[in-house]
Formats: sequence, structure tokens, C-alpha cells
Amino acid sequence: MPTMTYLQAISDGLREEMRDDERVFCMGEDIGVFGGAFKVTDGFIDEFGPDRVMDTPLAESGIVGTAVGAAVVGLRPVCEMQFSDFISCGFDQLVNVAGKMHYRQGLAVPITVRLPTGGGFSGGPFHSQNPEAWFMHSPGIKIVAPATPEDAKGLLISAIRDPNPVLFCEHKHLYRRIKGDVEAGVYATPMRARVARDGDDLVVITYGAMVHTALEATEELEGVRVLDLRSLVPLDEEAILDSVRACAKVVVVDEANELCAAGAQVAALIAERGFEDLDGPVVRVATPNVPIPFSPPLEQAVLPSVDRIKEACVELLAY
Amino acid sequence: MPQMGVSVAEGTVAEWRKQPGDRVEADEPICVISTDKIDTDVPAPASGVLVEILVPEGETVDVGTVLARIEVEGSEALGVGRWALEDGTDAKPNGGKRYSPVVARMAAQHDLDLEAIKGTGRQGRVTKKDVLAFLEHADEAPMHIESPYRPEPEPQSPTPKAQSPKPGALSRMRRSIGEHMKRSLETAATCTTWIEADMSRIEAGREQLGLTALPLVARCAIAALREHPQLNAWLEGEAYTVHDAVHLGIAVSLGDEGLIVPVIHDAQELSAEGLGRRIKDAAKRARSGELRPDEVRGGTFTITNPGQYGSIMATPVINQPQVAILDLEAVVKRPVVIDDAIAIRPMTIFGLSWDHRALDGVLAAQFLASLRRHVEAWDGG
Amino acid sequence: MATETARSDATGHLTRDDRVGLLRYMLLMRGIEERAMTLYRQGKVPGSFYDGFGQEAVSAGAAFAMGPKDRLCVLHRDLAAHLVRGVTPARILGQYMGRAGGVTGGRDGNVHFGDWQLGCVGMVSMLPDMMLVATGMAMAFKLRHEQRCALTWFGDGSTSRGDFHEAMNWAGVQKLPVIFVLENNQFAYSTPLEAQFAVDPVHRAESYGFPGWSVDGNDVEAVFEATREARERALAGEGPTLIACETMRMHGHAAHDDMKYVDKERLEEWRRKDPIERQERVLEGLGVDVAAVRAEVAAAIEAGVEEALAMPMPDGATATAGVFCEGEANVLGDGQAPWSGVS
Repeated sequence: MPTMTYLQAISDGLREEMRDDERVFCMGEDIGVFGGAFKVTDGFIDEFGPDRVMDTPLAESGIVGTAVGAAVVGLRPVCEMQFSDFISCGFDQLVNVAGKMHYRQGLAVPITVRLPTGGGFSGGPFHSQNPEAWFMHSPGIKIVAPATPEDAKGLLISAIRDPNPVLFCEHKHLYRRIKGDVEAGVYATPMRARVARDGDDLVVITYGAMVHTALEATEELEGVRVLDLRSLVPLDEEAILDSVRACAKVVVVDEANELCAAGAQVAALIAERGFEDLDGPVVRVATPNVPIPFSPPLEQAVLPSVDRIKEACVELLAY
Repeated sequence: MPQMGVSVAEGTVAEWRKQPGDRVEADEPICVISTDKIDTDVPAPASGVLVEILVPEGETVDVGTVLARIEVEGSEALGVGRWALEDGTDAKPNGGKRYSPVVARMAAQHDLDLEAIKGTGRQGRVTKKDVLAFLEHADEAPMHIESPYRPEPEPQSPTPKAQSPKPGALSRMRRSIGEHMKRSLETAATCTTWIEADMSRIEAGREQLGLTALPLVARCAIAALREHPQLNAWLEGEAYTVHDAVHLGIAVSLGDEGLIVPVIHDAQELSAEGLGRRIKDAAKRARSGELRPDEVRGGTFTITNPGQYGSIMATPVINQPQVAILDLEAVVKRPVVIDDAIAIRPMTIFGLSWDHRALDGVLAAQFLASLRRHVEAWDGG
Repeated sequence: MATETARSDATGHLTRDDRVGLLRYMLLMRGIEERAMTLYRQGKVPGSFYDGFGQEAVSAGAAFAMGPKDRLCVLHRDLAAHLVRGVTPARILGQYMGRAGGVTGGRDGNVHFGDWQLGCVGMVSMLPDMMLVATGMAMAFKLRHEQRCALTWFGDGSTSRGDFHEAMNWAGVQKLPVIFVLENNQFAYSTPLEAQFAVDPVHRAESYGFPGWSVDGNDVEAVFEATREARERALAGEGPTLIACETMRMHGHAAHDDMKYVDKERLEEWRRKDPIERQERVLEGLGVDVAAVRAEVAAAIEAGVEEALAMPMPDGATATAGVFCEGEANVLGDGQAPWSGVS
């Protein structure tokens, strides 16, 4: 089985699915000739041609809106937002046109929107955001967020095959830092959580880059489970409640801003449906409600660190 | 190795523009780094002297790796500002104890007294682990009323079920037993003394051995009889004989037919397990009518154990010509005072009927105290 | 590529039956909307009610030029387009009344609907979002080298929003087979053109690389002809066209708007240019029994009203179903194409 970086796995998944399904095509800024700002589509235009690897005008609303049009006449567009932050320019098309179409009109909108998310490398306020929660709150949009190369490929393929709008949150800071074994060919990963490390005394629930931070933070602690959500919509409630039942103590980690982040929904779910299994308060570790700052000491101070997560776990274990 | 670009994880030192010993000025190019994107000059972070090159030309290292050392005049400790976490986790002062939802649920499920469980969590909080640990060393099933005696499985007895007696008539066996009882009460000066005992260790011990409590209590009774041999005796008219060996009679119910007392001879040589096996076997054969005559003769002390129905005290009748009989009734969980605190313990009341012609109250009480001592100190022996 | 005024004589491409058909669709639209307004005042239509009174030619004429495989994004004053494609009066009235048998089954209201099986995409309230969807459909047609086009309507007010620009720019730079029909009805709610833009949108098409044509929006055959030509351009690979239809919104923005801000004289001037009356005169001149057409339309509408009133309201228990598509994605189907000359 080949070993790939997280980024290579995304490329591989996209390439394999494009080979497998001629309806699939990519559209985004600088993805064709240039191969993409992060080189995800490097070389694609040579294999698939400019029609299927489309360099679009600088128009996020246009990218999402035209993707909707292409999808309802039978194509499978995979849109790239150059940075997830720019999805705000396409918010209206995504939330009001794509998200609500099936509920209102019974018409499927099978689009995929790739969002390079997250911070940790001095990207500053407009290149480091985690916008998942904005869209968790909008009915009709699915959201996946892989943490491993294997899942990155499998979830991208699942997203493309899904008949609904799916946001694919690929964490930039994992692109070249994380390597793993990735199956060749095409395979689809289900939109459900997975246990990254097993344990029975406490569970850390998180997704994306924070999965790796959490694993590192709890390496030396005994009995700590790490649950990688992998999918935010649909949210794997069963897996969450199973882990609460087994571990009784929960730390929820968000790299996104704390207020109403995905972790807030997880915490609310646990408070309501996992109450009788709790042996301690549901603790959250998240970025405070500030724009992500640029200078390293400021950025490191706000993003959840290995130390902060470890500290929260140690305290809760002792509770 | 500086981070050049968002997704760059490593870089190669293409060229050192300065050598060890050279002076460098801040922002002056000190080396050239090559990444998969571009080649870039790296400016020196401070003014000083290049002391040591750690990564030679041509080598590729991860971002963050120290490339070289510069001796700088004066150094600045860069404090990494850590976002001050709100410290809101001190437990609020609270008069009563608080239990978490899972602990409360488990307590309700298993009918546990949380006050009796030691808490190892913060400020003595009882945690889920504490409850699990407690349960591991206690019984699963609630122990509210429990007799040490376990009824044997229903015998496929060839013994025909007794016909309901014709109105006004008792069965032959019943009459025989009745005569024995009447004679005993008429002959002996029968008194009864009771003592309470904490059966915790017996309960733990019997579970460990896979037995009922009866053989364990029997073992304790034998030990007590060794200490007070006067109770292991016969009184026939004027002749009072103390025996060395303990031939232990165990009363076995035969249902409507009445009861019979098979004797385990030389019971003092048996361990609790041995006693258990013999008692079980005797009871089985008693019910199937296979007891031989010598198996129901010669007993020097008798234990009766009807506690499975919940009765707590009784006034047993001495089995002639013995001078004492020990009664085991139900084991009931009660609140008791230990070290001026209330704890829940499985308690029972041992009753000893004794013949005042041969014994007196003090002796009876001492025997019971010994019995209690052995029971409460049970450690498997 | 400069602004042109489109021809008004379309007889070269319309048969007599076609021309009657154009009237019929306009009559159906007006009749249904009038009936619906009554139902609204009777409390049978929840929410708000919008109509395209006086603008019927813009949707009837443009939709009539479409082929079955073409795809439409229909807006709230373009009811005739739905009728041309094959949506029945009963389903439209059911839709207004929020009935289970309405086009969206009560999921969305008034004219926020599109029968996907007939190739129509239901609009959203944020205008002109649908311009981008139409552009995207055209983009797919071009990528697959198909002989078909997409068409969308939008109003003068919506040209002030970013999506207008993004769609025009995108369609122009990629030279897509899309037809942008601008319904300039002089007002966006209460906002007149003078407060909306400094330059009439029809002149802006040139800056995006394609022609903008001005058309008398109350001349149904002129609207038809302009759209037919634009479609020809599109199918020939010549790219998009902006057709600016000059018309007037004769009623308020919605039923709750008394349009006090519109000058009465101006309204009277436009009333004299009523598109239905104009087409009726044209057909009378050809010896068509217009009264018979009116009667047939009225009967059809009444039958539709009866059918719609018999439709049940949707079951509240179904309110949370259908957010996501489970199973295979459906795609837009083909619609009716009543024009005799459709290719």
C-alpha cells in the first residue's frame, strides 16, 4: 500500500474519482495551469484538460452558483475555495441556493466544495479560519473533516458521490506534515466517527488537525480515548454517546472559535442524552473568540496547544 | 529552518554565505534555503559572530531545526505569551456531598449506600471507578434477606409425597419428631441465648469458596466448641460426657414430612469445603431416604438453619442427649455503628439453646462470643 | 455588440397557432393571478402574494422560444414561463395555497417554485442569485458540447447586486449559451431606476463582451423574436445575450403594497400599452375568435381552482423530511416546447 502525505491523498482521491466518473470536474481559482495554490491539482490539466480542470474568474459566489447550475443538469463539480475563509463570499449561493434546493424543490444539488481550513503557520485572520459551524447551522449542507491521509482520500470520494452539497474541510497544516498508508484505486469512507486511540477513563472528542494535537497531548496519559469525528454533518451521535458511556469523562476540542463551534453542539448533545453516564463536567478546549492573529506568539497563545489539552485531561481525570 | 510558506514542512540548505568566525549583521543574508517552491536568502536574526554551523550545505531538515549558532551580545528571553486560561474548576463549597449522574445511577441500580464508599476523586469525591471497585468486592445481587443456607435442588425423590394427613391425624414421622421434641423440653432445662454477628467476611468467604454460609459457620462453631468443650457433650440422666470429637448434626428439612438430622462424624477434621461437601451429600441422601442408621446417630452438637424464609430468631429445641443446639437464621443488612459512624453490614443473630442442667448462661454467652469472634475474623481458614 | 433595438415583427417565425398560443399563455397567467388574488383576499393564500400584472409578455414571449432541452430559472413575475413549460393551473394554485398538491408541496410559497421535471429551477429570494445558476447550466452545456441553452429572468433592482456582475462576467469570459432576460419594470419595490443605477444595465452588456438588446417588453412577439435570436446565437456558440425588456409593474410589489409612490398618469400611460390587449388586437386583425380563447382559458382556470381547492394541506409530520437527497441525484427533465419552430 502506498504511503502518502495528506495532500497527496487528496490529490489521489480527486484524480481517481475523475478517472472513474466522467461527470466529475474541478473548478476554482488558479487550479488549472498553476496546479492550485497548494498544488492539489498539480498535473491534472495535462491528464484531464482545461474543461475538466477549470480556471475560473475570481468570483466565489460565481464558483458556487455556477456549480449548482452544472450539478442540476448532471455534472459533478468539485469547487475549490483557495482558502476556506473565502467561502464567505459564496455564503449566499451555498446556504440559500444549494442548501435549500432539495427541501424546497425536490431537486438534488450534488456539489462538493473543498475548503482549505485552519491555522498554525502565521496565515493571519483571513487565511486561518475554521468556518464549519457557519454551515453546520444551515440545513441541507453536509460537512466532512478528515484528519488522516487515508480518510482524506476516502471522504473526498464519499463527498463527490453524495447527491447533496458537501463541504470538504482539508486542514492546511496537515497537508505535508502527516503521512500515512493509503489504499490505491477508489474507495469511499463513511461519514462517521472513528476511534483514533482507545481508552476507558476519558475521551477527547475532536476533528481535523486537533486530532493529532490531542493524540500528542495524551500520549503519556493512561486510559485516554481520542474520538475523531470525521463528519460534522451528519454528526455521529451514536459514536459520541458510546464513548461517553464507556469513558464517563469528556474533553471536547475545537480549533475553531469557541462560541457555537462544532464542539458546542457535541457538548449539548452529551448534556442532554449522555447525562446519566457522566462522571464529571463536559470540558471544552477551544480557540477564544478572536480573529486568528498573525504573529507566532499570539497565534500559539490562542490555538489549542498540546499543553492546554493535556492540562484539561489531567485535571478532569483527577476530578 | 524558517517556515517559508504555509504548507512547507522542510527545506534544504543550498549555500552558507557566512563561515564560522565571520561577523554577521542583523538582516544580512546568512544562507540560502531551497524548498520545493523556491530558493530564498535567509537573513540573520541578530548581529553577532557566527560560531557554529549545525546543518551543512546540501542537507534537508524539518522546519524549526536549528541551522547555526550566532553569539549575540546580550540575549532577550522571549516570553511566549500564553493565553491565561480561566481557572473556574474549583469545587464550590457545599455542605452535603454531590454525586455525579453516573455514580448516582449506579448506586440506584445496585442498591448501594454511597456513604459507605470511599471516594478517591477531587476533595474525596466518589468517582465511577470507586463505585466499580466497590462492586467488584461486593455481591452483585442485593443482600437484603439472605440465609446462609441454600436449599438443595429439588430431589427426584422416590419418597412419595406425603399425602395431606387425614383430618385429625399426623404422619408417623411427625409424631415421632413431636415426641422427641416434647421429651427434650420435658427433660432439659432449655434456655436460649442470642448474639448478633457481622457476616461480612463469611459472605465474602463463602462466595470465594463457592459454598453456602452454613459450612463456614459450622467451621467457626467447631472452633468455638474447641474453646468451650462443655457444650460438645451428652447428658443422659446424671451422666455428663464431654466429647473430644465433634460429631456435628445438621438439621435437614424434609418438607412436609418434617426434619431429620444427619451427623457428620469427626467434623473437626474437615475444612469448610469438606464440611460443605459432606453437608450437601448428607442433605441429598436424607431427602432421597438413603441415610443409614449410623448416619443419624452419635451427634454431639447440632446446627439448625431455617433462615431462608427471613425469620431472624428462634428458640430451637435441643437434640437429645446433646446439651446445646445452634440456630442460624436470616442474614439481613442493617445499619450498625462502627467507630461512631454508621455503616451497613450483613448481620445475623445466632441463637443457642442450651441445657441449664449442664451449663449456665455465662458459658453459653462465652461460646456465642467465641463463635462471633471466629465468624467476624473469617479469613478462609 | 452595441445596444440594438430588436425587431418587433416576428411573423417570419410564428404560425397563426403560435401567435394564438402566445395570447393564451398571457391570458392564463393573468387569469390565474387574478383568481389567486381573490383567494388571497379570502384568506386562502398564506403569506404574501406577488404577480406580474402588465408584464405577461416578458415571460410568455421569452419562454415560448425555448426548446424542450433548454433550462429555465423562472422568477416571481414570470408565471407564464411555468405555464409554457407545462405546469398546470391546478398545481400553481395549489402552490399559492400551500397545499400538498402544489408544486413544492408547501415547502416554499407563492412563485418560489420550479418543476424540475419540466426543466425549471425554483427561485430563491436573494436576487439575482439565479443568474449564476443559469450561467452554470450553460457552462455544463458548453462543456458537453450540447445544442441547448439556459435562460433566466431578473429585475432592474437585482442588477445592483454582486451576483449580476459575477454572472455577466463569467458568461462573457467563458462565452456561454445563456440568455439573460432583464425585466425592467421601472421599480424595485418602491425604488425607481434613478435611485438604482447610474447607467442602464442594457449598456453594461458590452463591457462584459456580449450584446445587450432593448425590447418593448409589452410586445409579446418582439420579446419572442429577441429571445429566439439570442437562442440562435447561443446554439451557434456566439455566447450570451442580455435582453432588456422595457415594461411596467402595474400592481404593487406584492399584494400588501398600494404603490402610492407611482405616478397615476404614468400608470395610465402603461395601461394603454397593455400586452394582452395589444396581442388581442393583432389576432382580431387576423380573424381569430379571441372571445373563444378567453372562454377556454377561463374554463381551464376554473377547473384548476376546483382541483386546487380540493387538495389537502400538507401533514405537519412531514415537515422535517427531505432536507437531504437519499439515493441517486435527480437531474432536470425536459419541458414542453409549444413553439412550432422549435429546433
